[in-house]
Amino acid sequence: MAVTTLWDVAYFLSSGLLGVLAHILPPLAWLLTNPNLVWLLSALLFGAILLGASMINTIMLIWFERKMLGRFMDRRGAMHVGYAGLLQNFADGLKLFRKNTFKPREADDLGFYGGPTAYMVTSLLMFGVLPISSGWSDGALPLSMLLALVIFSFAPLFIFISAWSSNNKYSLMGGMRSAAQMIAYEVPILLAVVAVVLVAGTFDLNQIVLEQQNYWFWGPLFLALLVFSIGMLAEMERIPFDLPEAEAELVEGWNTEYGGMLFAFFMLADYLRALAGSILIVLLFLGGWTLPTYVPAVATSLPLAGIIWFMVKTYLVFGVFVWIRAALPRVRTDQLLRIGWMRLIPLSLVAVVLAAALVLVKCLPVFGCVPSMGG
Amino acid sequence: MSDMWINMGPQHPMTHGLWNLRVHIDGEMILGVDPEMGYLHRGIEKISEDRHYNEVITLMDRTCYVAGMAWEHLYIQAAEKALGLEPPERAEWIRMMSEEFQRLASHIMWYAAFVQDLGLMSPFLYGMRDRDLILDLFQSYTGGRLTYEYMRVGGVRNDLPVGFNDRARKVLDWLEPRLVEYDRLCMGSDIFRRRCDDLGILKAADCVKHGVTGPMLRSAGSKRDIRKDRPYSRYAQVDFDVATAESADVTGRYLVRMEEMRQSIRILRQTLDWLDHHPGPVLADRLPRWLGAPYAPIGREAYLLKRNYPKGIGLSAIEEPHGEACAYVVNEGGEHPYRVKFRSPVFANLSAASQYLVGYHVADIPPIMGSVDVCVGEVDR
Amino acid sequence: MDADEVRAKLTGAGAPGILSVDPFPGVAARVRFSPDSAAPLFPIVRDALGFPHLSTVGGIDWVERYEVFYLLWSDTAKTYLLLSADLDAKAPHIETASSTWPSANWHEREAWELVGIGFDHHPDLRHLLMPDGYDFHPLQRAFKLHEPEELEVKVRHV
Repeated sequence: MAVTTLWDVAYFLSSGLLGVLAHILPPLAWLLTNPNLVWLLSALLFGAILLGASMINTIMLIWFERKMLGRFMDRRGAMHVGYAGLLQNFADGLKLFRKNTFKPREADDLGFYGGPTAYMVTSLLMFGVLPISSGWSDGALPLSMLLALVIFSFAPLFIFISAWSSNNKYSLMGGMRSAAQMIAYEVPILLAVVAVVLVAGTFDLNQIVLEQQNYWFWGPLFLALLVFSIGMLAEMERIPFDLPEAEAELVEGWNTEYGGMLFAFFMLADYLRALAGSILIVLLFLGGWTLPTYVPAVATSLPLAGIIWFMVKTYLVFGVFVWIRAALPRVRTDQLLRIGWMRLIPLSLVAVVLAAALVLVKCLPVFGCVPSMGG
Repeated sequence: MSDMWINMGPQHPMTHGLWNLRVHIDGEMILGVDPEMGYLHRGIEKISEDRHYNEVITLMDRTCYVAGMAWEHLYIQAAEKALGLEPPERAEWIRMMSEEFQRLASHIMWYAAFVQDLGLMSPFLYGMRDRDLILDLFQSYTGGRLTYEYMRVGGVRNDLPVGFNDRARKVLDWLEPRLVEYDRLCMGSDIFRRRCDDLGILKAADCVKHGVTGPMLRSAGSKRDIRKDRPYSRYAQVDFDVATAESADVTGRYLVRMEEMRQSIRILRQTLDWLDHHPGPVLADRLPRWLGAPYAPIGREAYLLKRNYPKGIGLSAIEEPHGEACAYVVNEGGEHPYRVKFRSPVFANLSAASQYLVGYHVADIPPIMGSVDVCVGEVDR
Repeated sequence: MDADEVRAKLTGAGAPGILSVDPFPGVAARVRFSPDSAAPLFPIVRDALGFPHLSTVGGIDWVERYEVFYLLWSDTAKTYLLLSADLDAKAPHIETASSTWPSANWHEREAWELVGIGFDHHPDLRHLLMPDGYDFHPLQRAFKLHEPEELEVKVRHV
């Protein structure tokens, strides 16, 4: 059978494994060849592969950021563990894993431990929805984009829970800032997405990418891209919008009281969200795994070409975020909210209107008329 | 959330040292502040009473750990006045050069820490990189990078090494365009201006009322600079302008410090030119023997010292990187100063904290306190 | 501005309790005054003489007496002025200068805790550098270094 999707890979592996087992243990063959068991195992494998891929990507993202920041700052970044410090973050992760987990005496158990865990889990969950290449997920998820954004917007709840249960004033202030910030920036993000949906005519991320075969949305929907990227920057809590953990005034914001593995959870989840945000930008505006038509066909016919191009784009998008981090100071809470409510929301409304106009005239000014457009 | 008190410090990223800013807040608004000092109190004034005049210099480096040379200069002037000694001409110029290099290093350090508080990470490392060059210069003629112990009652310890002036000029040539870069990173950034404009305002009249001096006072339009108003060392012989700004806010303090760095470079170039052409002794002849002695004078020497040595009170004031610093050294005869009293500019600037913090946001505390340039060593002494 | 001018201005403004006005190296003059007249004298020095900036307040323990000195700066005359008063060795105290020069607040707190000079009517005479409950005055001559001391630090609950 042709291996085309990640699900196929998982299914192939699990049925092969079970087949071998059934061959070794004939008495159990009736059980091992049961299609339900095969399905269950492939689902588990599917999840494991996703988990591994997203974790490794996240850790590589941290490495990428450290190296890039280093270059911006006239230094070299991590250099010692592995080639060019490639393994440094794995070592850091191991160190955090080994550390003692402690909790302030007055902190609330459920919130203190549950918060980071739920934050981590929801961040990971997103990667079950985001397609990385044409063959990534098999099943058609007609509302996959909405699902991704819903999962994305869980975060302020869990951050606030863990901040509140830390029983620390800095944590509490950071948590409140975080909640206010994320809620404020949900709205422009969703409106920017509406613009994309209007043009693409679907909520399915796979379909949205397919719609971008001929033209990427960043050109006609530049305003939406701008709003979406700024909103994502705030959702990721990165400079210039990293006030919830502004170390200058709030020590470490909502994760002040966390150490060891729980801190690693926050750190990883933050970067998972950064990765997911970059992926969303690539999916919605930068054509996903597709390449412009003028690129030689050889570039797209390589094995795994889709995944490779997708990751290149994702890292480039993230690189822009790192660049911003290296160049900009942090804004203030009231300024942040003012930017969100008074600048981004009107802008995103304009973007929606523009997108609607594009759909109405069924014509894109830059690329000429495209009959396949929705509407 | 109703009002509450939070402790910013003693270990807090904003403090840049050991002190505690107790802040009374309502949500994100500051209702009142109460700085708590003393975490770094070493009793320098008390220890000085048990030390030789030259041994106090060691303590001066530690008074403000980013402006050691300036404090050495301050103390040395007062001590020399108290003892009735005069340093050679070249020593005065070397001291002035050291103070200006120290001002440059201190301001670069301030810049690095200040932008770091605002979340700007890269300039922090640029600042540290460039400050290192100045520390290298210090190392080449004092042997120390932070605590120099270079000045002596009656001069300085040793002359500059061969080729120092050219090396120093190279550093200045490198620093001058860097200052433009610094400026572009901050003043060119819209977010920076939004963060810093109209923040932590303290008008000139309030500055004078609360004893605030230095860049904070000059950012409010005052031209008060002790180097100009009451020239000490050889500042009367070099050409420079007093940096001022009108806005009295954080941006104003930033602009004043940036301009001061440029003026320091200007002073340094003139000083290096003078040093090129005027070789000479750097330590006065006929110093009392015990001044250089590592031991306490005993026997007849101690007796003569007690009987014959002139008494006196030395008072000096310099424009330290943070503001007006004064030293009051009482010499009652004998090998130890009877009483040493220092006036730290940051001490006074901090005492007015409630004047420029109340009414702003919690997020404004790091930039405002950063613009004050707190050096806890000299507050606590 | 020199000592004669200072003296003339002080007499002109009717300053009470002036004991002497001498030349002093580095400052315009040293004005010795009696501590009892501190309260009316300070505003006169600030306004009539034109010394709005108080640089520092310091105390000296001369064993048989205490001295408190005030270093003032005039921006118009570009010079310093030294005020000094001798205080009783038993219970040294003087009227606070912080109502005239608010900057005296912390300087007086420091002089109070380190030298042991009391400042009457000071708005906030708490420990500044030393921990609360520290009952010694380290800058007094009787306080010798290298001596073990019993110190009970009260913990302040915020």
